Amino acid sequence: MTQSPAPADALAREVRLYVFEQAAETARVPQPSQIAAALRHPQVEVEQALKRLAAGKVLILAPNDGNIWAANPFCAVPSGFRVEAGNKTYWGICIWDALGISAALGKDAVIRAPCGDCGAPMRLEVRNSRLAHSEGIIHFAVPAHHWWDNIGFT
Amino acid sequence: MLLFRDEEHLDRWCSARDLSRGATLTPDQGWRLAHAWYKDKLRAVWRRHTLEETEALLADVGLTGAFWNLRGE
Repeated sequence: MTQSPAPADALAREVRLYVFEQAAETARVPQPSQIAAALRHPQVEVEQALKRLAAGKVLILAPNDGNIWAANPFCAVPSGFRVEAGNKTYWGICIWDALGISAALGKDAVIRAPCGDCGAPMRLEVRNSRLAHSEGIIHFAVPAHHWWDNIGFT
Repeated sequence: MLLFRDEEHLDRWCSARDLSRGATLTPDQGWRLAHAWYKDKLRAVWRRHTLEETEALLADVGLTGAFWNLRGE
């Protein structure tokens, strides 16, 4: 016999699926009020579900409110890491996530990002699940064991 | 994780912030890491990678050594 998930787990799963589906389909990450309205749950319960998801490192909440900063790889706010895929424009919080948007969508993508030092525009292109055009080097400043100590800096 | 034009630009960025260099990847390594990490994120059955899966995923991209150690100091 299969056990049903606890209600809080079930809601967190429902919220996760909605958030990521919306982010992929619309290139915009939904926020608590929109999620609550769409799923017909009280917003306070949705916010609790988002906290559970953030604690599980499924997504990242903004530091001072219950809004989603990133349903990674999808960033909720415009950033320097711009991804054009399927006639939509997405944003990542870093170059890893920008590439991850193409991977998650399973779509070709053009990724535009500035050089971290001089700001010069750079371009990567994914075609048929391969990097078809690239330039530059990627830098990880933080050792892997400490990535989640301060995910914003990482 | 930032993108830099070349090593010189990366060194200048680190120097301006008094930071030591971390680790560098080629864009192709970055793509392979991102693909392995995120390719299933939209699936209903998605779950986080286990520690062992993450270690294997990093190693598969050639990311080994102390910087990529996930088990602490």
